[in-house]
Amino acid sequence: MSHRDPVIFQIGWNACINCGACVAICPQEAGFISDFDTIAVGRPCDIACMLCEDICPVTTITHREVQKFQIDEINAA
Amino acid sequence: MPSTYDIVVIGSGPAGATTARVAAENGLRVLLVDKRQELGAPIQCSGAVSRHALEEVGVPITEEFIQEPIYGFGIYDHQGSASIIDYRQMKPDEYGTGDGKKPLGYVVDRRRFDRYLMTLAERAGVETWLKTEGLGYTPNGSDSCEIRLRRFNEDITVKAKVLVGADGLQSQVGKWAGLRTHIKITELASCLQFVVDRVETSGLLEIITGHEWAPGGYAWVFPKGHGYAEVGLGVICTMTDKNAQWHLDHFLQRSFFKERFADSRILEIQGGGVPLAAPLRTQYADHLILVGDAARHVNPITGGGIHTALSGGLIAGRFLAKFLTTGQPATAGNLKSYQDAWLEKLGDKMWQLYEEKTQIFRTNDLEERDRQLYRTMSSYFHPESEYKKI
Repeated sequence: MSHRDPVIFQIGWNACINCGACVAICPQEAGFISDFDTIAVGRPCDIACMLCEDICPVTTITHREVQKFQIDEINAA
Repeated sequence: MPSTYDIVVIGSGPAGATTARVAAENGLRVLLVDKRQELGAPIQCSGAVSRHALEEVGVPITEEFIQEPIYGFGIYDHQGSASIIDYRQMKPDEYGTGDGKKPLGYVVDRRRFDRYLMTLAERAGVETWLKTEGLGYTPNGSDSCEIRLRRFNEDITVKAKVLVGADGLQSQVGKWAGLRTHIKITELASCLQFVVDRVETSGLLEIITGHEWAPGGYAWVFPKGHGYAEVGLGVICTMTDKNAQWHLDHFLQRSFFKERFADSRILEIQGGGVPLAAPLRTQYADHLILVGDAARHVNPITGGGIHTALSGGLIAGRFLAKFLTTGQPATAGNLKSYQDAWLEKLGDKMWQLYEEKTQIFRTNDLEERDRQLYRTMSSYFHPESEYKKI
């Protein structure tokens, strides 16, 4: 696994075809999913393996890096 | 007091609905839940299934879900040379459209097919809840487990002796139990297909091999009924730096079929992850088993999962009915026999197919790999193939 900073995924919903491949490849524990049955958005992924981005047939998953100290703020919000 | 069932099944696809139906037919009290409002959608599958697979599990073959009958296969190498396996010509007395003749299989409408399978379960006495999501489960001593559900925003806890995870490749149920469900990126094909108008088909499932068109997987052209076709492909993303969408455009515009596709119009867009992988090594835990895609009951060479889901559902439903009458606790140790039964009937052959597939993609020489894949696909679909019924 990577040693990168955690990331927050963003999904371009316009291109998402709800294929579920991102969830299928995701090594996170149960429940790391969005309300639209994709990988979770809006909360940090500390694995940051990016496999969901790789498997997406329409390349509509992107991410931004978050520093570890920012995660507490996000979770608090 | 929570309602108590013999089994609760999460996910009403072919595997879940069949497990539920067979269990109810054999006297169990069954609850079948699905988070969706309409089954089958969003479609993540091309819908090809053999007639044998339907007959074997007692699913009546009806107009309600059939989109087009299938009579054989066309397997293409990367340049377009084909081996045509048309049962109408090979066994004309058995296969065809005339009296007493039958198709080899069908392309089904997954929305209607999945709904029909749930209907069969419901008619067999299964209680069915849509818009019901599974949230978690807790084994409760040796007797039963508690399953937390959310149905139309209401949190409900039910009890069951066994929870059946039939929640697909994205299975959360397997993760609840801590099973090793993770799939390797090299074994999950990224798939995209278009349902198109103005592409001719002739009752054959056409499979196009070759690294140039679908690195790590294959491309397909399937008849979809009403003059429509499905054109799609799956790729392994470690074998290409382009996505499935790029490869499908490339296939439509550059392949030896480009003239055939020249007037095509896209009517639907669908995608999915298709495992070209081995079955899960452990498909059971305390008070829990997995079936279908959740247990990775998918043919690792073709990526076909409907037949294996139906057959697996039959095995699971029968097993549970028999097991629960013995009064033994549904511990992981006792539920191992489910997996043993499944391995004996289907799984061992799937492991062999997996080895064969792995061997092909271990070949670094692309030309040799293309040759091997074409040869394997051609012999796989041949009437004499030992894997015919997987």
